[in-house]
Amino acid sequence: MKRVNRNLGRLPKTLLSIFFAGCITLPMTGCKSTLQVQGNFPSPLVNQLPLTMGVKYNPQFREFNYVEKNEKRDDWEIGIGSAQMALFDTVLPAMFKQVIAINEIPPSEGDNIDLYFEPTLEEFQYNMPRETKINMYEVWIKYNMKVYDKHGQLIADWILTAYGKTPSAFMKSEESALNEALVVALRDAGAGLALRFAHVPEINSWLEQYK
Amino acid sequence: MKTQILVPLVLCGLLTLVVGGCTTVTVDHVKHLPTELKEGESVVVIGRRSGSNYETEPELVSCIGSVLTQGENALNVIPEQTFVDSLYPWFEARTAPTQIQGLQHLLSYNQIGKVFDEYNVHYIIWVDGNTEKTRSSGSISCGISGAGAACFGFGTWDKTAEYEASIWDYQNKKLIGKVSSVADGTSYMPAIVVPIPLIASVQKDACKGMAQQLIHFFKTSK
Repeated sequence: MKRVNRNLGRLPKTLLSIFFAGCITLPMTGCKSTLQVQGNFPSPLVNQLPLTMGVKYNPQFREFNYVEKNEKRDDWEIGIGSAQMALFDTVLPAMFKQVIAINEIPPSEGDNIDLYFEPTLEEFQYNMPRETKINMYEVWIKYNMKVYDKHGQLIADWILTAYGKTPSAFMKSEESALNEALVVALRDAGAGLALRFAHVPEINSWLEQYK
Repeated sequence: MKTQILVPLVLCGLLTLVVGGCTTVTVDHVKHLPTELKEGESVVVIGRRSGSNYETEPELVSCIGSVLTQGENALNVIPEQTFVDSLYPWFEARTAPTQIQGLQHLLSYNQIGKVFDEYNVHYIIWVDGNTEKTRSSGSISCGISGAGAACFGFGTWDKTAEYEASIWDYQNKKLIGKVSSVADGTSYMPAIVVPIPLIASVQKDACKGMAQQLIHFFKTSK
């Protein structure tokens, strides 16, 4: 009975030592951080174009996963695919009368599609607060947008860049702060697409002819 | 053993609660035009996010909104995220109007005006600024042995929270005034076995100062 009591008495001290050892060891080890970006994207308040748009999402776009390969940086694996799909699935239906997901441009079966759209994520970059002088998580995303006419002829090909940042905060995890910065960047991408689509010169002239 | 651990922890907790760091807050305002908030009208508090090396913290914006909804002169405040989501993509960091003329331009688009009318917005309060650490000194070292872990040392740091709110009258499309709140504070962390943080709540104090000044701003007609 005595022995049991003595062991119990040692327990908090042992636990405390393990806790402190853990606290010190964790930042020193190169653990991999993973993040599946999650966010809600509102429907944009824009004038809807009376067009049927066929959208082709490549598998790389649907499942875009960034893996940090720079050995000087911490290991990160960031899954953006599902969040950007959620964004495009919300933004495009607000921009066009009808949006149809397709696998090929133009699709093999005849559809009443006016335009085809193919987004590609070309580049993704991020900065952690400790890498810069500012207390900010920053994200840059570069998209390549391609629009084709109903015959599959390329009409417009333009670059859309998106930026998002979020300040670091006490008790906020790196994952949560980076997620916030990514959601801001994706919202920025949605804003850029919704507001500038009809102003891309080639699309604008196509729209003029369509009228 | 249990009491030996608990007593210092409880004392540290109490000390932290009772003795905080020191903060000084300076608030000021300038009013160009009279204000009048009628029954049922709302204000919206939004953070400016267009700065390249800082960002108005969302928690500061929600803190101001929360203080404005309390007390005798409580205002009807539309939460920032609700408002920004309803008007997506027009009030994002890179698309939000920076001048009142920009807002007028936006309102030529009918759907935006409808959202403003639904919320019965009379005033838009744009908050710009941030809280940053301006100085830090001291050092704390911690060690582990078979007997346990302990820290020893002293650390101190200064923080400055500097915010300015621009108040736009949505109905008359005019800038009616500005309110500023600057808080400076020093936090301390002595460590004798256990670190005892004595934190100056700089951002919270700047928020309270700003919110109280805004209440005064709307309470007085001129």
